[in-house]
Amino acid sequence: MKRLVALLLIIIMAFTFTGCTKKEQSEQPSINPEVGQDADTTEVVEKPFEGTTLEVLVAYGGAENSFDAFTEKTGIKIEWLSMSTGAALAKLQAEDGKTTADIWFGGGVDSYLNARDLGYLEAYKSPEAEAINPQYNDKDGNFSGLALVPAGFIVNDDILKEKGLEAPKTWEDLADPKYKGEVMMADPAISGTNYAIVSGLIQAWGEEKAWDYFNRLDDNIEFYAKGGGEPLEKVGAGEFAIGVVAITGGTFNIGETNPTSVVYPEDLIPWTPAPIAIFKNTKNLDAAKVFIDWYLSQEGQTILREADARIMARDDVEAPELMSGLDKSKLIDFDLELMGKDRDSILERWKDLVGDK
Amino acid sequence: MINRSKLKERVDFSALSFDYVIDKLILFTVIISLLMFILYPIIMVISTSFYSKGVFTLDNYKDLLKNENIKLIKNSLFVSTLSSILGTFFALIISLFTFLQRERLKKIILKSLMITMISPPFVSALALILLFGRRGLITYNLLGLSVNPYGWKGIVLLQTLGQVSLASMMLISTLDSIDNRQILASRDLGASPMSTLINVILPASFPGIMSVLFLQFTINLADFGTPIIIGGRFKVLATEAYMKIFSSGDLGKAAAMSVLLIPPAIIAFYFYRKNMTKLNNLSSGTKAVGGDNYDFNLPFGIRCILSFITGLFFLLMILKYGNIFLSAISINSSGSLKFTLKHFKEVRFGYLPSIYRSIVFAISSGIISSIIGILLSYYTHRRELPFMKYIEFISSLPYIIPGIFFGLGYIVAFNNEPLLLTGTTLIVILNNTFRHISVANKAANAYFTTMNSKIEDAARDLGASRTRILMTIIFPLLKPTFLTSFINTFTACMTTVGAIIFLVSPRNVVSSIVMFKDISNGQYGLGAVMASILIVITVSVNLIAIKLLSKERA
Repeated sequence: MKRLVALLLIIIMAFTFTGCTKKEQSEQPSINPEVGQDADTTEVVEKPFEGTTLEVLVAYGGAENSFDAFTEKTGIKIEWLSMSTGAALAKLQAEDGKTTADIWFGGGVDSYLNARDLGYLEAYKSPEAEAINPQYNDKDGNFSGLALVPAGFIVNDDILKEKGLEAPKTWEDLADPKYKGEVMMADPAISGTNYAIVSGLIQAWGEEKAWDYFNRLDDNIEFYAKGGGEPLEKVGAGEFAIGVVAITGGTFNIGETNPTSVVYPEDLIPWTPAPIAIFKNTKNLDAAKVFIDWYLSQEGQTILREADARIMARDDVEAPELMSGLDKSKLIDFDLELMGKDRDSILERWKDLVGDK
Repeated sequence: MINRSKLKERVDFSALSFDYVIDKLILFTVIISLLMFILYPIIMVISTSFYSKGVFTLDNYKDLLKNENIKLIKNSLFVSTLSSILGTFFALIISLFTFLQRERLKKIILKSLMITMISPPFVSALALILLFGRRGLITYNLLGLSVNPYGWKGIVLLQTLGQVSLASMMLISTLDSIDNRQILASRDLGASPMSTLINVILPASFPGIMSVLFLQFTINLADFGTPIIIGGRFKVLATEAYMKIFSSGDLGKAAAMSVLLIPPAIIAFYFYRKNMTKLNNLSSGTKAVGGDNYDFNLPFGIRCILSFITGLFFLLMILKYGNIFLSAISINSSGSLKFTLKHFKEVRFGYLPSIYRSIVFAISSGIISSIIGILLSYYTHRRELPFMKYIEFISSLPYIIPGIFFGLGYIVAFNNEPLLLTGTTLIVILNNTFRHISVANKAANAYFTTMNSKIEDAARDLGASRTRILMTIIFPLLKPTFLTSFINTFTACMTTVGAIIFLVSPRNVVSSIVMFKDISNGQYGLGAVMASILIVITVSVNLIAIKLLSKERA
């Protein structure tokens, strides 16, 4: 028996050892950059991070189209993975913040607030952030606003015509019983955008009016989607007539191949910023700062707007043509901190309201 | 049957010989790797439900059995039971149909079933929604119906369809293993084909049918992908546990919920194993040679039903795959179909590394998991070491718990020195390898329980060491088993999403994840391109392996 135990120990040690060596091998690429940095500073000063690779977790449809421009400008290579912010937050929690990614790009701001409170984000106040409405940024610099994502409706014109219905114009219209069973909205517990809508309407209308509204809206909803992207998809495919969605370039793009149109609510427009942040665990902090600076600069913002049409965080970058229909005065006055603080209590009340839909 | 215990005494092994050490080394490598890469991560993920901010607590379990969750359990049990019964029923019909065909057609059906098993998750469900949904190509455009597929009926339909291929393949091999002397005897004694079917064939394959039923039940119970897409307001436990991770970011609560899934799964798995053992005992007899050409004509009506249902199943599969391929090369623009290469153009070079990685990962996982699976089976069923059956049970755990928790377990377990693996390529390969080890194990079990050990005994009598027997006799003889389990693991790895969704990072993303991303962003066309590429690669690898396999047998 003793011999067995001894063998067991040897094998455990052998495994541990191989585990370590494998890890070092795969970690090498991220150690390399420092070498590259030293070699380069003597020659080209404009691209001090040539050869560095940044890993980016993306929840910003179309953002990848802008990465080449950034690489060309700075020499920093980008490896990216698209992951919903909810999934990213779960991953961060499971690995206790020790992610190998450097940058978090876009997605639901509530996850960023959560990650900030858990200490997973690196505070960095970019000099470029001064040109950005402070309402979009975290006040300690844990994240900054890249763009503004308004919420509205997507409608399937064919289905509406078939049912002899008009497209809803306001949030109030949406709760009209004539749309019963035709409205699709994502569960605010899962979709950051939809939580922003719920929280935004509460902030704009006050508790009483908002909850009364949600109660009536709930009657029109067959079931709540399990992801923010689902209403768009289902309305595009004609499974439902009306979807509550975040309006980005992608929302308009689906209209190229499907009989859909985008509707900005006429009464008021809830919104959420699409944030950007650095992970605390990053090994390339300086390069990550360059990344943030560039995406908040006028040049970076313009290129990002071309990659996916959105209203950018900087006022000196014009709204894309696609979004010209948006009346900015209808955007609600919105407190991000409040949205984060009330999340648990709002979602609990929401759950009581909708039951198991 | 020769008395094995006596055989073991035949050769005296000196306790410290080189051979002994190597043998034990292999054994312990197998055991330790299974403990470390299966049991440890699972324990780690479950343990998150007992700790909140580093303090032991039962908070997560306090209201686990509240009404809401009881309802989820009921829903889960309801759909899983119904889907498994229906799935087994249809699989039985298809396998009976196949069983009665001539060798040639049988082979074609088997190959087709194998292809229909390559079913990228999400894409299959979406393809069926596009066919049968409210605006479905068939329901709406062809039949003018507007059906609402969301709800338990949709889940049952998709799960049933999804399981039929695997179940049919298992049942065909069960039917094939029936001693056909029994069937011949029954016919010779004047029983009609119909009564032979009812009184001989069905009873003989009953344990096989039951084990297929229970296996499907465990798989359906852990399935979260189908209910997410088609469940609508009908919620099941696996899906809610999965959603809990995203909605509250609360790993502990989600882990506690998934713990609820484990007892029914273990019970079902117990019955599966019990029936498998019975089956092995029943089919251990040798087969009559040349008894294949007996006349076996079932009544016309029964034959019609069998072929109609088999035909319907394959028609649905053709529609499903046709729809995936079609979506890859077309745009469905307001009801009219336009062909385009747009999606292929959009699948840029950025996608190539992920395809390459997928193939490399799937090949490595396929090889490692087949080797370990075979060794595990060897030590459990050939050497019959007493504690090995517990180790074997551990190896089947990843099949029982939802894939996503197996993935999360890896993150929780391997994010610290000295086992820092998160973010590496290795963690994805390891996860794939150990998740599918029971496939290889089961394939090898079939070999070790049916083939007797005469050759090995002879070699041992002639003085061959255990290592030598393993290397020069067992592995060469097991080549077909190895190939089968390699195909299965390879196929599963190419399409897996749930278990590795949290394990991939930007540097090791694989194509199934890219496909999942495209689909969840609503870019079904792009997703269909990726799915088509995955299907084509997997089918080619399968066909190559089948070629190698038939050469081996010839």
